[in-house]
Amino acid sequence: MTGRSGDQPPGAVRTARLGAPVDLTNCDREPIHIPGAAQPHGVMLVLRDGQPEQVSGNTAGHFGLEVAQVLDGGLGVLLEPEVLERVQASLRSEALDDSPLFLLSTPVAGRGLFDLIAHRRAGLTILEFEAVTSGRPRVDAYAEVRRAMNRLNSAASLSEFTSVLAREVRQLTGFDRVMVYQFGEDGTGTVIAEERRDDLTPFLGLRYPASDIPQQARALYVQNMLRIIADVGYEPAPMFARGPEQEPLDMSYCVLRSVSPIHLQYLKNMGVGASMSVSLVRGQELWGLIACHHQTPRHLPYDLRSACELLGQVASVQVSARQEQLNQSYRLNLKTAQAQLVERMAEERDLLEALVGSDTNLLQLIDAPGAAVTLHGETVLLGVTPPREQVQALLAWLDTQPDGDVLHTTTLAREYPPAAAFSAQASGLLAVRLSRSRHDYVMWFRPEELQTVTWGGDPTKPVEVAPDGSDRLTPRRSFEAWMETVRGRSRPWQAEELAAARALRRAIMSVVLRRVEELGALNDHLERSNADLERSNADLDAFAYIASHDLKEPLRGLHNYSVFLLEAYEHQLDEDGAAKLRTLVRLTQRMDALIDSLLLYSRVGRVDLSFRPTDLNDLLRDVLDVLSPRLEQLRVQVQVPPDLPTLTVDRVRTGEVFSNLVTNAMKYNDSPQPTVQIGALRPGGRGDLRVPPGVPEHATVLFVRDNGIGIREKHFENIFRIFKRLHTRDQFGGGTGAGLTIVRKIVERHGGQIWVDSEYGQGSVFYFTLEA
Amino acid sequence: MNVRPVLIVEDSDEDFEAMRWAMRRLGRHDPLERCCDGDEATERLRDRDRPWPRVVLLDLNLPGTDGLEVLAFIRRDPQLRSLPVVVLSTSASEEDVNACYDLGVNAYLIKPVNFEQFTEQLRVTLDFWLDLARLPEPPERP
Repeated sequence: MTGRSGDQPPGAVRTARLGAPVDLTNCDREPIHIPGAAQPHGVMLVLRDGQPEQVSGNTAGHFGLEVAQVLDGGLGVLLEPEVLERVQASLRSEALDDSPLFLLSTPVAGRGLFDLIAHRRAGLTILEFEAVTSGRPRVDAYAEVRRAMNRLNSAASLSEFTSVLAREVRQLTGFDRVMVYQFGEDGTGTVIAEERRDDLTPFLGLRYPASDIPQQARALYVQNMLRIIADVGYEPAPMFARGPEQEPLDMSYCVLRSVSPIHLQYLKNMGVGASMSVSLVRGQELWGLIACHHQTPRHLPYDLRSACELLGQVASVQVSARQEQLNQSYRLNLKTAQAQLVERMAEERDLLEALVGSDTNLLQLIDAPGAAVTLHGETVLLGVTPPREQVQALLAWLDTQPDGDVLHTTTLAREYPPAAAFSAQASGLLAVRLSRSRHDYVMWFRPEELQTVTWGGDPTKPVEVAPDGSDRLTPRRSFEAWMETVRGRSRPWQAEELAAARALRRAIMSVVLRRVEELGALNDHLERSNADLERSNADLDAFAYIASHDLKEPLRGLHNYSVFLLEAYEHQLDEDGAAKLRTLVRLTQRMDALIDSLLLYSRVGRVDLSFRPTDLNDLLRDVLDVLSPRLEQLRVQVQVPPDLPTLTVDRVRTGEVFSNLVTNAMKYNDSPQPTVQIGALRPGGRGDLRVPPGVPEHATVLFVRDNGIGIREKHFENIFRIFKRLHTRDQFGGGTGAGLTIVRKIVERHGGQIWVDSEYGQGSVFYFTLEA
Repeated sequence: MNVRPVLIVEDSDEDFEAMRWAMRRLGRHDPLERCCDGDEATERLRDRDRPWPRVVLLDLNLPGTDGLEVLAFIRRDPQLRSLPVVVLSTSASEEDVNACYDLGVNAYLIKPVNFEQFTEQLRVTLDFWLDLARLPEPPERP
């Protein structure tokens, strides 16, 4: 690297300028820790083993000495012998590695007072001489910080804390504007607190792109907590060395380090004349900054700067603790919301209602403006979400995503292009899969970040053109580049939020599983009950059979003795006594009939049926043959189509069914021309016939229709109850009232159903099926 | 001379009374002998000193040893096996009917509640077995 002629100072020592000049096009690669120049409000002198090696090129203005003179003479030409001795003693004894230390204030080269600050880096001793503004009392950094800390400690929340911090720093430093920035996970900075001169535009709440502070600057901010720019319009004082082979100086810890011209341009764009920033560090990460701006040049002396730096360090610890508290309280909120949800799920039978119910819902669980649940094909939207049909279309895409119970993205449209249409509602998606096959999901949506924040500056402002006409990279252009990267992107999902989503999924699954188990238990119980019921039905049948059987014997006794009495003593009794005896005989006969019906009924339940393909035409011919005497007697017209189907049935029992129904049809008939129609509706031939639930499509529906007295609708079910009669005993030819009960039992044992349709006074139709 | 009776195995006094009433009404005076349960019946039949019944009218539903067992006992015993047995039962169950014929019953009748029917049934039965049918001679005493 050769020095430029204009920078070449006169003197005995051959000197060379160090470091590559940085322009506005290479700032991303800019090695800002070795700028090869210093800010001109002080002089930087570098010693190796006590010998001067480099010095900033502004010695003449401050000390009246040329660069070569300083490089040649070293500290000896600058300091009084007594001061020199103290300085050298300090340099020998103090721990100065990467740790600048204020040594003393002293006149230099017979000129005014300078603050002398020293540190060591990479074997070099770096001395910085800053001119002291005269007439200003010294600041007791400790007292100032303690006072500020007392106020900071009383702050209740993080936001109050940062407000107090901004106020204290402004009071201490007198800057026009003091802001506290907080950096997001994506590197963007938000102004979370501000103290300013009343006439300045407020920046509070503004957000700055991550690119406004480049990565390497951030790293440096963690190392070195404080930076100043005394005058953004400064001319950098280049560093000079004894020989051309010198490495540029690592100025990571130098307060006089010259800053990036990009940064200067940025500040100029904002109308800033001087700045200072103090790092707020959480662990090894840059949490935020205390950023101070002044409209005119402003040099903050060392004592005040140290007070600010100390405040920054203390605030860092506090901020960390408060941020941790905040995170913890968010985690606690997550947990509380989660517990409440789980509790609701346990109480609420309807899972969907539990998830979206009014008090605690998904929006309380995770900080997002919108959520949706789809369960069993039903979608419920909460808050700000894409339109329903878009959410449902999204489900189909989610189903295609590789296995994963919790899917999350902050750039949905990149993975699912149709989402570009609703990036304002959902650039971020957090989806919990409950069942892929049933498309059951819980989803949260976060909007595109551009929609959510106020940005520092106008994103549409065109690229600035430099006075010389060149198209220069400006902070606003970097902003645009950044905007491109955040378009269609949401605030990130935090680890705690993903954990909460996973926990919710587990909770839902366990509730669902428990319900399945409960259902299973219920099923088992039902099956057991069914078995019990079957057994007790069989027991009941057996009981009815045996009981009826046993009833017969005393019944015969009653009957016989009544008969004996009548036979032996009728002539000795008066007519009333004889009539009563005859009634007794009739009652025993009636009871006998009832017992016979009961026996028959119980036999239908107990006896095994013998299923065979049976031609119903044949069967019905036999049935009608048996009934023919009575049918003829009552002149009943029976119509049977000749094409009845062949069904697999128990021939005898099915015969009983037809026999019973036809008998009823003719018995309960006062029409001048009693008619009975028998027929079969094949599958597909039912027309608009309404069948009870459980009758399968493929079943043939048989029917027996009459033009008899009909049945009132309220009795449609009663007629099937055993011994339930609608008429007095001797009306319509009597009967025990067990016929239809037996018919229904036979039909049911065939796996079929029987039902009646009737219009009172017009006739009835009994429909039944004989196949399950 | 030992008169050979009609043996009635019937636990119900009323049913037995009905039988006697019916026979009286039918004008029959055949000697009747009654056993009230199955055990008594088998005892009676084992006793070789007592005359062979002409016919056994057997109720099925008996306390203790039931009618089916009595029937089985008769058919197992070489001395008794040819004895005509007519079952009179309330039960119309196929099982009972089949079981009796399996064991070699001569006839199975269902007892009706209606006394007229009962009398008529008894008339036909007794006319047949006591008047019409040729009955086996009791086996030689050992």
